[in-house]
Amino acid sequence: MEQALQKICGEKRATTDPFELAPYAKDVAYVPAILVHLLTNPLPKAVVQPISAEEISSLIKWAKQVKIPVTVRGGGSTAYFNCIPMKSGLLIDTNRLQGFSELELDQGSNRKTVWVKAGMTWKDLDDGLRQQGCAVCSSPSSAPSATIGGWISMGGLGIGSVPYGSVHDQVMAIRSVTATGEIVELSRPDKGPARNKASEQSGIQFNDLMGTEGTRGIITEIKLLVRDVPEKEEHLLAVFNNETDTGAMMSWLGGEHFTSLYNVHFSSPEFIMTLQRAGYAEEIPPGKYSLEIDLEGKRDEVDKAVVQIKKQVEFLSGTLLPEGVGAKEWADRFKSLRLEQTLPSLLAAEMTLPVSQFATFYKRLRQLGQKTNTLCVTYAHLVSPETALVMVLYPSDELNLIRYIVDLSFTSNLYKLGHSLGGKPYVIGFWNTPYLKKIYDKGERDRRLQRKHAVDPHALLNPGKGYNPPNIILNSYVFGFGMIMIGLFRPMVLKILKGGKGL
Amino acid sequence: MKTIEELHKRIAETSYICGSCGSCRSVCPVYREIGWESSAPRRKIALAKEVFLKKKEKEATKQYAQRLQECTLCGKCAEICAAGINTRELWLNLREDLRARGMEHPNLTQMASQIKATHNISTFPNEARLDWAEDLDEVEVEVSKAGSEVAYFVGCVSSFYPMSVGISESIVSLLDRAEVNYTVLGSEEWCCGFPLIASGNAQQVVELAKHNVEKVRALGVKTLITGCASCYHTWTHGYPTILGEDLGFEVLHATQYMARLIRTKQLVPGSLGETVTYHDPCDLGRNSGIYDEPREILLAIEGLSFVEMPHRRDLADCCGGGGNLAAVDKDLSQAIALKRAREAVATGATILTSACQQCVQTLQMAARQEKLPLEVLDVTELLWRSLEE
Repeated sequence: MEQALQKICGEKRATTDPFELAPYAKDVAYVPAILVHLLTNPLPKAVVQPISAEEISSLIKWAKQVKIPVTVRGGGSTAYFNCIPMKSGLLIDTNRLQGFSELELDQGSNRKTVWVKAGMTWKDLDDGLRQQGCAVCSSPSSAPSATIGGWISMGGLGIGSVPYGSVHDQVMAIRSVTATGEIVELSRPDKGPARNKASEQSGIQFNDLMGTEGTRGIITEIKLLVRDVPEKEEHLLAVFNNETDTGAMMSWLGGEHFTSLYNVHFSSPEFIMTLQRAGYAEEIPPGKYSLEIDLEGKRDEVDKAVVQIKKQVEFLSGTLLPEGVGAKEWADRFKSLRLEQTLPSLLAAEMTLPVSQFATFYKRLRQLGQKTNTLCVTYAHLVSPETALVMVLYPSDELNLIRYIVDLSFTSNLYKLGHSLGGKPYVIGFWNTPYLKKIYDKGERDRRLQRKHAVDPHALLNPGKGYNPPNIILNSYVFGFGMIMIGLFRPMVLKILKGGKGL
Repeated sequence: MKTIEELHKRIAETSYICGSCGSCRSVCPVYREIGWESSAPRRKIALAKEVFLKKKEKEATKQYAQRLQECTLCGKCAEICAAGINTRELWLNLREDLRARGMEHPNLTQMASQIKATHNISTFPNEARLDWAEDLDEVEVEVSKAGSEVAYFVGCVSSFYPMSVGISESIVSLLDRAEVNYTVLGSEEWCCGFPLIASGNAQQVVELAKHNVEKVRALGVKTLITGCASCYHTWTHGYPTILGEDLGFEVLHATQYMARLIRTKQLVPGSLGETVTYHDPCDLGRNSGIYDEPREILLAIEGLSFVEMPHRRDLADCCGGGGNLAAVDKDLSQAIALKRAREAVATGATILTSACQQCVQTLQMAARQEKLPLEVLDVTELLWRSLEE
């Protein structure tokens, strides 16, 4: 196998060495080995690092011939096993697809674009563009590690999504390799034929590659909208006394449609307290709810927005912290994991939620936390005028298997709470397949499955992700029942382990 | 000195913090060359977690040891770490543990023996430390001169390696031109111990630290200057910790001292019509916080056109010469250096400067090997050249 792969990628970019393979069986989340091996076979047989679409094409054709599944991996910065093999096979690491083209000006829309290779990180692309007076429109909160292709394959919501929408809206064209090994270039449906050139054979369409986690094709290059570096930036940090006022401020910010509103980041008092225990965020008064409000754009637009925001903060009995505090928070926007210094073993649920329900969600979350003796540490981004992307983290202890397994059941409580208020799990991957019914209605689930069958009839690409639960245990009813049962033991286990880490 | 149990506890606690987010990947010069996840800082920490937190000793394999030693200690991973981990300290602790396990790279073990035998990193006897000064026609370098205000700690590389003696020659020439009352330690200068610290062998540094500090104190100087960024870091960060006391004199990097001389007009730079860029040495910049003075000197040279590289100051890329990497994998070190040298060429500069003898040497070799149109010099060499011309 190694020889065949080295023939395609060269000696140094293909490996079957167990030491090298091991890290590719892992992503950000810790999942006890007993669960992982019960449900999956995550260790790839081989890992390759192609440098071109042509190499990927040859790899896919080879995998098809020898009948082994292919999983694609970018930054490996998600927590849902999106890029972890379920059935071993070949893993394609895209990190050597690096670089971006010269800026192009779209004559019709007068907007700038670049062709960027899928393996670049968002931070590297942004740094590179800024040397030329441009910047990415939006980026994930994991921009230093997430790759361009990776985020496009996920939900695509993050910092800058309020004005620019999902990253999927910024993709003008895309090059990819299909499940049959064809190399295709697809334009945005509203910008030209959605299916063109060699794509007829496989029937792949532009939208088959947006947010589908590498299950319908492997993205190699993207034509991405970029923006000019804004004339002015302003980063305000407002604190509020309760969730009601904070939620009202978030709704107001979304509803006002400021052209310069770039990002709004919420931190719960528990999140701030956890950071403060590690020696950070000392400028923020304890017990407060904070909103970092990031404005970017033309000078007068930013200045005008600042005046209005100040008035609204005052109206909601909030306080704007001194200049510089917001800028510092903005500079540290990729460092939310610092809270692991205080809580080193965290579990999480990430979901989209209507902003109008944010205050209610938070109130009920607090009650749930009190009832179950769970510290819930929350942060959120406004990702559209009406939607927030909410991350709820809670402590566990991966050194204690029983504690960790019973704690996993709490994630299901969080999704249930979010769902009752119109929320949805953000990413599917493997671990969230039991929640598919909460994310898509039947019609959408059927349509997704139909597309998968049409473009990848042999389920070669990233099997087990994004569609029907791949295992009876992950069936929504079985899983739901299992979580309820495990959850029943949780209070007892926590009581026995009282004083354990994170409590 | 910490016990092995304390060391293990510290590693276990630190590794537990890592969330495996991978922010460290794309900034790591080693990962960018090797490409496999096993070479990324997050994977090294994940393995440390297995070994020290979960007590899976079988994970401490030869490949694990090799990966831990394939690191320039540039500290860029610490700068970007989303969890705020002091990764540089973690790498040193892990190397200390490797030594205790007998898994240290043989070249590093040999280097430690060499330093023990000659008190320098070369194979030359320490008495040859001042051979470089013999080529100076107009400057007389005096050893352990009583009543001196300044002591110049030359460092092993620019004492013994012909490629780098231009740095020490320039520094003494500049001191002489500014009429500074200075002296050097000659054969009483011992290796600062930085290569040992980088090997996780801080214990062997104690003797070197005691000796060097004692000799400098005996001179009664107000200021000690070093031309080497790693010597500077060792004197300012390592020695006070190792000895548990203040040194009793000021320690400055040569660029800080020269910038001071320029500010007080004791030294007036000449002119040079060159386009120049500057590489921040990791041990002077990111690890010691000194960014401005080298630039201040370059900007004071008349006619010089200064251009910055995209990766600069706290985000500067490593030259590949740090952390004893060249002793563990010379090709890897050179590959990293080449990338940095190419970044310098892309700015349009014809001269790449730095403020570290190791950086200059490593980048010089890469530029020569690839026949890049780039001259690599220390800032002090360029400053002296401006005066000579």
